[in-house]
Amino acid sequence: MSIVELENINFQYKGSKDGSLDNINLNIEKDQTVLLCGASGSGKTSIIRLINGLIPHYYSGELEGDIRVAGHDVKKTELHELAGTVGTVFQNPRSQFFSVDTDGEIVFGPENIGLEPKEIKARLNDVVAEMDLDELLGRSIFDLSGGQKQRIACASVAALLPDVILLDEPSSNLDFDSIELLRGIILEWKRQGKTIVISEHRLWYLKDAVDRVIYMEKGKMAREWTGDEFNSLSEEEVKSYKLRPVVLEEELIRDIRGESASSFCDAGEAIELKDFYFSYNKHPYLIFKRHFKESDGESLNLNIPSLRIPKGKIIGLVGPNGTGKSTFLRCLCGLERDCRGKISVGGKTFKGRDRLKICYMVMQDVNHQLFTDSVKSEVMLSMIDKDEKRCDEILENLGLLEYKETHPMALSGGQKQRVAIASAIASDAEILLFDEPTSGLDYSHMEKVGMLLKELASQGASVIVSTHDPELISECCDYILGINRGRAVYLKENKKL
Amino acid sequence: MENNNKKLKAKDFITIGIFTAILFAVEFALGMLGYIHPFIVAAYVIILPLASGIPMMLFYTKVEKFGMITIVSVLLAIIMFVGGMGYLGAPLIIISGLVADFIAKSGNYKSFKKTVLSFGIFNFWICSNYFPILVTAESYRKDLIDGGFSAEYANNLFAAINVKTIGILVVLCFVFGCIGAVIGKAVVKKHFEKAGIV
Amino acid sequence: MRLDPRTKLFMVFVISLIAMMSATTPVLWAIRLIITLIPIVLLILEKKYSSALRFFLAYGIALVLLLFFISENSEGIIASLLIGYCGIVVQFMPALITAWYVIRTTKIGEFMSCMQKMHIPDGIAVSLAVVMRFFPTIKEEYSSINDAMRMRGVMLGGGNVLRMFEFRMIPLLFSCVNIGEELSAAAITRGLGGDSKRSSLIELKLGLADYLLMSFLTAATVIFVMYKYFL
Repeated sequence: MSIVELENINFQYKGSKDGSLDNINLNIEKDQTVLLCGASGSGKTSIIRLINGLIPHYYSGELEGDIRVAGHDVKKTELHELAGTVGTVFQNPRSQFFSVDTDGEIVFGPENIGLEPKEIKARLNDVVAEMDLDELLGRSIFDLSGGQKQRIACASVAALLPDVILLDEPSSNLDFDSIELLRGIILEWKRQGKTIVISEHRLWYLKDAVDRVIYMEKGKMAREWTGDEFNSLSEEEVKSYKLRPVVLEEELIRDIRGESASSFCDAGEAIELKDFYFSYNKHPYLIFKRHFKESDGESLNLNIPSLRIPKGKIIGLVGPNGTGKSTFLRCLCGLERDCRGKISVGGKTFKGRDRLKICYMVMQDVNHQLFTDSVKSEVMLSMIDKDEKRCDEILENLGLLEYKETHPMALSGGQKQRVAIASAIASDAEILLFDEPTSGLDYSHMEKVGMLLKELASQGASVIVSTHDPELISECCDYILGINRGRAVYLKENKKL
Repeated sequence: MENNNKKLKAKDFITIGIFTAILFAVEFALGMLGYIHPFIVAAYVIILPLASGIPMMLFYTKVEKFGMITIVSVLLAIIMFVGGMGYLGAPLIIISGLVADFIAKSGNYKSFKKTVLSFGIFNFWICSNYFPILVTAESYRKDLIDGGFSAEYANNLFAAINVKTIGILVVLCFVFGCIGAVIGKAVVKKHFEKAGIV
Repeated sequence: MRLDPRTKLFMVFVISLIAMMSATTPVLWAIRLIITLIPIVLLILEKKYSSALRFFLAYGIALVLLLFFISENSEGIIASLLIGYCGIVVQFMPALITAWYVIRTTKIGEFMSCMQKMHIPDGIAVSLAVVMRFFPTIKEEYSSINDAMRMRGVMLGGGNVLRMFEFRMIPLLFSCVNIGEELSAAAITRGLGGDSKRSSLIELKLGLADYLLMSFLTAATVIFVMYKYFL
């Protein structure tokens, strides 16, 4: 029996061609687990939004066709009436919480539909036991990592006991271990007989978990495989669809967890780092800030007395979440003022604020670092001598010239990132830092970022990129630097290249 | 769908909450300046409307339903009260919000002129914070001095804000509210419309 | 100790009220001090020692300065700046500490059910809850934007005040609008705004501590008003 029926769907968002749908007919049986894959803008998310009713009730556009979910005619059903039937886990763990505390978030749904307190309590206990969330109860959302937030989001959806669960690129902001946990949750739902629809770029964690795979292309359902067929696709075939790999090699997994070596290889011509110590616990009672030392040991979030990093290369920064990758980048480029590390490169030494002059970090959320109203002025803002010709050159190289006058915020995620990179180049920084540049990107965009990094390095920049993206590492990193518990644990050459 | 569209829904209440938080964050940051010199307290009528014009003009384009501004003013009144800013002003804040709402509604939340006018009126809420200074002038002055403020501060405060100047302040508030709205509209156009957000 | 949110709201009300009526005699000062100490003590009970200590020190220092070193005749720039600082702290700190305590210790769910008990319309309750939830978000977003500005060397907007303001405001608004969209979508798909009456896991109940604190606060207010206006 079909629980989700999409019939002759045509859809286009108001004012945008991206994500539109073209004659979609899709029936999903009860208990099935369906994976939607394909490039960004191919319509995966739109299908998710049709099933949970956000289209047409929340995102407006032109819609033709019929949608039925568990007996509800979605077009005629108010969104809140679907709450007990369809549940959705969204992409961004930062923005899908209404409450500030974890318990409150899990029971938010059941409270909204007006269940008895006793019933709510029972559901809370069930969900917590099923998903092993004891340690996360009673915490503030703002103190959780991305992976922990996503688990709470899953619990919050599950507490409404929906028959259909939708996940919209749920792994985008997660590290390797959190993705494994997410897989566990999905398998548990599958065991309970839920109908699951997942839109996703990262595929390895869904191997053996899905019954049906639908490949979307330009708003159409272009291919369909059964789970078994999909698992047996060869690496080349997967690549030819511009999809991320379905199987990860063991060594890459060790790489990404920062466990693949234990010594430092020769860095050749190097950038030398000295005295990088930092702690987020700032001893609030002391008026004077303490200088951190190596001997502070475990209490430090970053503890790197000295380190040599190859110059003019691409260095992949790996290690589990919360062990100091971002801290390392922030300290390196001088954003953490309390870190007094020195950078020596080409005979010159930079410390304190001067670090900001030779380093430039492209943040994970690039939205925060775009300020002006056109791509051109964004790049010009970074230049010390305003040189319009050079600005055009940079934009040309990054394929952004046609968007010169466009507002940066009107661009797609990948394009915004390139604008940020363009302004990094314009600032003449020698060391370019990237914080998780590819986590939410599809295969071809990830490939593009990889190529771009290579080009930056070939022009002489040193690129340090923190990532949990195995594909990016195998794509472009010359070296791999492992960080664990705030210490640099190894540096090795990436032989894959 | 049509008649349903006029009523505020959950999404709108969330939007209202978000913009109130932003508005308050801006006011809070700027409001702290006031204790440096009393003349800055009087200058709120210029600074605050100009600064809050941008978020508020974006807000006006986001909900476009009756009640949006009234609820903001109710929330502001509550926050101002909790923040120890005075209970005399609260009704005035809500009244200016309500009037501003009616004006904006009469232009269907789309008319440029009505929106500007509406935001000008909305800014009377700033003046309502001066209200206690006026109504209870003598005892308020004594309170300030006994409460630890110097006579110089109190004198300056009353030089800037008294029954004679309040008229000017109200007018300034309105005028700069309108200017703030025009600037805000321009910025919304420059950034948010260009980016396709509104 | 778990206080009922209604007690907390009452406390906010009383403390703002007393903070608004300035203290002029020793008795009034004493009441005001005691009232200010209540949220600090509550913070300690909640094991938020460092915020309690910071509030205590800031308030204490400002108070001492104001009472002993600044008189009616203080003039000049330093005195005026000092008055500015102490003025803010002494005037607003009590309300601020209380608000901080309430926001830090009240869960959104508790708050919503408290609003419902007090017959506040759902819409206003939702908006207020979002305001409470959103301050930390604004702080997070703003500090990321600030980092980006430092990295790009545009902290001063190239010496242009308007740009200084624009560069902070625009990305902040973009972020907040985005987060708001996603937040609403996530909330509505979980049933917010439905016709059924919202229920609550936490059943509010006034306990002994609540009654004690409320009567104490009421008594303090009555004494304060009597001394100030009638004696």
